[in-house]
Parts: sequence; structure tokens; C-alpha cells
Amino acid sequence: MDRQEIENLIARVALKDRAAFDQLYDRVSSKLFGVCLRVLNKRAAAEDAMQDSFVKIWNNADKYNANGLSPMTWLITIARNTSIDRLRARKKGHQDVNTPGFELVSPGPTPEQYAVASSEASRLSGCLDTLEEDRGRAIRGAYLDGDTYSDLAERFGVPLNTMRTWLRRGLIALRECMSQ
Amino acid sequence: MTQTPETPDDDLLAAEMVLGLSSDDDMIAARRRIGTERDFADRVVFWQERMTAMTDGIDPVAPPARIKKKLMAQVFPKQRVTILQRLWLWQGVAMASLLFAGYLGVQLLEVKTQPGGQPTVLAAQLVSESSPLQVLAVVEPVKHEIALRRVAGTANEGRVLELWAILPDQAPVSLGVLPDSETTRILVPSELRSQAAQITLAISDEPVGGSPTGAPTGAVLAAGAMSEL
Repeated sequence: MDRQEIENLIARVALKDRAAFDQLYDRVSSKLFGVCLRVLNKRAAAEDAMQDSFVKIWNNADKYNANGLSPMTWLITIARNTSIDRLRARKKGHQDVNTPGFELVSPGPTPEQYAVASSEASRLSGCLDTLEEDRGRAIRGAYLDGDTYSDLAERFGVPLNTMRTWLRRGLIALRECMSQ
Repeated sequence: MTQTPETPDDDLLAAEMVLGLSSDDDMIAARRRIGTERDFADRVVFWQERMTAMTDGIDPVAPPARIKKKLMAQVFPKQRVTILQRLWLWQGVAMASLLFAGYLGVQLLEVKTQPGGQPTVLAAQLVSESSPLQVLAVVEPVKHEIALRRVAGTANEGRVLELWAILPDQAPVSLGVLPDSETTRILVPSELRSQAAQITLAISDEPVGGSPTGAPTGAVLAAGAMSEL
């Protein structure tokens, strides 16, 4: 995916350029739909989540430049967070903690672009696999299945505080692995 | 920076926010800090970029074509009867009285939405001597939208019309490429709203897709300053 091309399209969508929105949809909707399907695992729900995601993209494209994310990260995060919100709304009694996520918050004036080498980001997968005691599985569960600490505690059969401590150790180890 | 799982440092708080694991209180605090603390926002970006790599292995799936139709219908709803369209019911009447009728229409709208409010209605007539293009623009104060109606003229063959907002002593700000339709609505960018009365609108001739430079590159085909009705 050509980063510059997607960035240009988002910049034009920020100016309410309908043709650019149309092109952006054609370029990225398959990836975003794949993400929505992976999280929600139901076609009708994924279709709704993807449609919602694009409405958010249309309404918030002017905030994109300010947040320092790479364009595909921004788009995928909107799709992922929108899907997780729907998933959690479906589960009874769950708090909705994710709307709006970082991608829709403007972090203030004159931000520096946070450049990140894609090779470093893609090292994540390898690092998750090296984490001990299924911590990688728990982190994946939180990101891709919207698991909360209480979901994870139940799944792994440990008290909530233990789960929290255990997963935070995983995050510390994950960062160390990625920065090596 | 000390970090233990019991007392999470900013980096862990950022990671938990990205994963959606934060408590309600932490999430509210984190959102506020993103807007005010550059370092914290950078930590969130750091994790966001990396966690998103978990989606690398997810294969794209083409969504059904009807989703795009539904989306476009939602984002670009069929225009309801706007003030401008009402204005045009009385085609042939002098422009000034048309605009005045629009003003009354807006006031009636305003009474419903903002009791007691005294709205200022801005309008501009975009014309030039060298081009047949004529466009009428009215700023709808409640929705911060500019309603545009192309009265005469079209884009040149293989070119598009791009709308610009110009404030005194400032570079033009693009408001986007105008669609082929006679009428359209464009949101006034939030940073321009407080100075809407000082805006001059201009339409330039541009290559398909709009100006590649962010500034007008072609001839100005029509322009007009906002005036209060």
C-alpha cells in the first residue's frame, strides 16, 4: 500500500472531496472489511462496522494529520476500534471504553510526525510468540477479540489483579523484545 | 522511568489504552493527556503503530458492492430543500430580493433551533468578467455549511472547479473540488468559522482531482466577498 497515495487521499477527504473519498474506499475497504470480519466474525455486523468506520473517516479526516499515525494504522485502528465497540456492546454488562479512541482525538498543535520503520512494527508478531505463558495469546485476544482484563482472567482462570500484573509483565517484555 | 506491573508507568498506560484494557477512569485521563502531553501522545502512537501489525496477517476481503452504495447515501444524503433551492423557486426575481427571502427562511429555521438567537446570514455572489461562471453561496449558520448553487457556466473540458476561502492577508484555503451537480454543500472548516464574515470565496480552474500544490494553480473563474444580509 503506497503510504503517500493514501495520505494524499486522506488529505483530500479532509477537504470534503467526494471523489477522493470514493477512491479511498476502493483502495482500503477490502483490508478494513477483513479486519472487521476478523474481530466480529459475523458478516452483517462486519458490514455495519465497516460502514460506520468510513463515516468516521469522512468526518474526522481533518484530524488525521495531527495525530502522527501512519495512514494505514489510522484507518485500520478506526475499523478495529469500531468493531471492538460493537462486539462489546453485544456482550451484556460490558463497559464501553473505546469510543472515541486515540485515532479520533486531536493531540494538539504542531505535533511531530512519529516516524516508525515498518520493519520494527512488523517485528511485533515474532516478539508476541516469544512471550512466556501465553502472554502473547492474551495480548492478541485483547487487540483482536476485544477481551477485557476480566474476560482474560476468566479465560486463564486467575484473579483479575493477577491477570493485570501478568499481562503488564508481558507488555514490558514485548517492548524490550521490539527494541532489541 | 521505573516500571512495575503494580504501578504502571506512562508507557504501560499507553499500551493498555491502545489495547482497550484501560479502566474507565484511566481511559478518560489518557484521552485528556493525549491532547496536552506530547510525550504521552508519542507513547500511544508507538504502541498503536506496533499493535496494528497484528492485523498484517488478516487477508483483505472484498465487501459487497451494496455497502458502498449505502455508505455513499449516508455520507452524501440527497439534498433536502435548502434555502438556496427555496430561493430559486422565485427565479427571475432580482438577486437582492431573493437573498432577502433566503434571510427570512433562515430566520424561521433559527427560531426553531436557537430561540432568541439573532443569526447573521452571510452570502456571496461569485462572478468574474472574464468567465461565464456564476455561483451563489449562502452560509447556513447552524450547520456551518456553505450552500452553493451554480447559476451559470461549467468546468472546462477535462478540468475541475475548486473552491477556496481567502481571509485578508492569508493564503487561500481549499474547500474542495466542486461536484458536477448544480448544488452542493460544503462544511466551513472550524478554524474559519469565527472569521466567516471576512471570507472571500473564489473558484479556480484546476486539473482533475484538484490543485496538486495546495494553492490555486489555474485561473480564477469567479470570486466574491461575503456580505451580511
